[in-house]
Amino acid sequence: MAEVADLKDFICRKFSENVGLPPDELFGQDLSLAQVISRSEKMNNSVDLMEAFAKSSNALRKQYGVRVRLPALSLETPISRVVELFVQECQQGRVA
Amino acid sequence: MPSALRRTAPPAVALAETPLYEVPRLSGAGTEQSSQPRPSVVRELYQAFKEEGRTLMDITWEQHRFHESRRWSAMELLSAVRLDQLSELDRFVVWNAGRAEMTAKPSADRMSRLADRECRRFLGTDPVVASIIQSLGTWTRYWNEEEGHHEMGFSQLARMLGFPPLDDAAVIDQRKVFPDDDLLRTVTMLAFSEGIAAVNYGQYGRRARDPGFKALLKHVGADEVQHMQYFISFAKALVDSGAYAMKESFAVAHLFLRPGGELYGSVREHVESRSTHTNWWDHLESAVGEETVTPELLERKRSLILHALKRITGISCASAEQVEEQWMELVGC
Repeated sequence: MAEVADLKDFICRKFSENVGLPPDELFGQDLSLAQVISRSEKMNNSVDLMEAFAKSSNALRKQYGVRVRLPALSLETPISRVVELFVQECQQGRVA
Repeated sequence: MPSALRRTAPPAVALAETPLYEVPRLSGAGTEQSSQPRPSVVRELYQAFKEEGRTLMDITWEQHRFHESRRWSAMELLSAVRLDQLSELDRFVVWNAGRAEMTAKPSADRMSRLADRECRRFLGTDPVVASIIQSLGTWTRYWNEEEGHHEMGFSQLARMLGFPPLDDAAVIDQRKVFPDDDLLRTVTMLAFSEGIAAVNYGQYGRRARDPGFKALLKHVGADEVQHMQYFISFAKALVDSGAYAMKESFAVAHLFLRPGGELYGSVREHVESRSTHTNWWDHLESAVGEETVTPELLERKRSLILHALKRITGISCASAEQVEEQWMELVGC
């Protein structure tokens, strides 16, 4: 299993790519999921967001061989909380 | 005759000759009864347009025949309800259903707008897809009209039971047209929502004691089943055409089936408050909302969604987990 810092870095990079917002804006301001949808030109609604997280999860699976499943999240959830959940899931070590 | 009309007058035809235009049977249409095929949902819409050379006027006639053959009168059904026989729970079902059905119109209005936009997008490049989408847009007029019966049936019954009617400001607020999304996602979501509504009405109908109220719930539930069949047919045609990616249908199925997903309606942990539109199904009053998520009903809704997904995409999944796996695979990195 990779170091937590590496995992976090990877997850943040993938989130940023998949939601189409620069890391400074996304994590610097710890945007809520509703804010991510409204600011991103790639996103119209929560299904787009769900797909962005699915792509990030698939990238994690490819890179580290772990499978991340996310519960339904409120749109008020801050992006930092989603990163935490991804890391926790990785640490639980569900092998893909 | 004004010149404008003269220019568009139909060509003269000789009467009492062979029929001007004979409509052959559509694949997947209902079984024949005497000389008239029974009206039904055209299940293989892509095939009808692409391989059988059907036209929009053929398909619209099928839609119209089916709509007309299934009409019922809200006025007549309401007159048969014995108000004093309705339980406290029945009364709340009526009030909530009236509120919920109010938002069918903005959903149908959105569908008309979205279908027209998408139809024109394909007009120059893929006329078959344009025709499929136009048949959807045209059908929304029947859908909207049928939902109007539901809305007025329950809303008027609620007034007869002594509930105050919505004021004009509330009506205008509830009519906010839903925002647009990907067409296949929207049609898939509506297939699932109509199926869920049908299960809910079926459940309320089984519990109701008054025959008149039962009949109203039965008619509304049967309409919702028919709407689900139409949306499955449209979604399948979009997937069959190759113009829309089936991952969108899987995304919606996952949205409904995942833990805490839309399947759980108003009792799920997170119900979003939206400024863009109102979906009253998300706000059913507690006793009425809880009745729709008993284990038996949830299982029935899950089965319906999985069945619809299979019809739309041709891919069979046996559980929510399999839907998620398949969706993740289709999404890629």
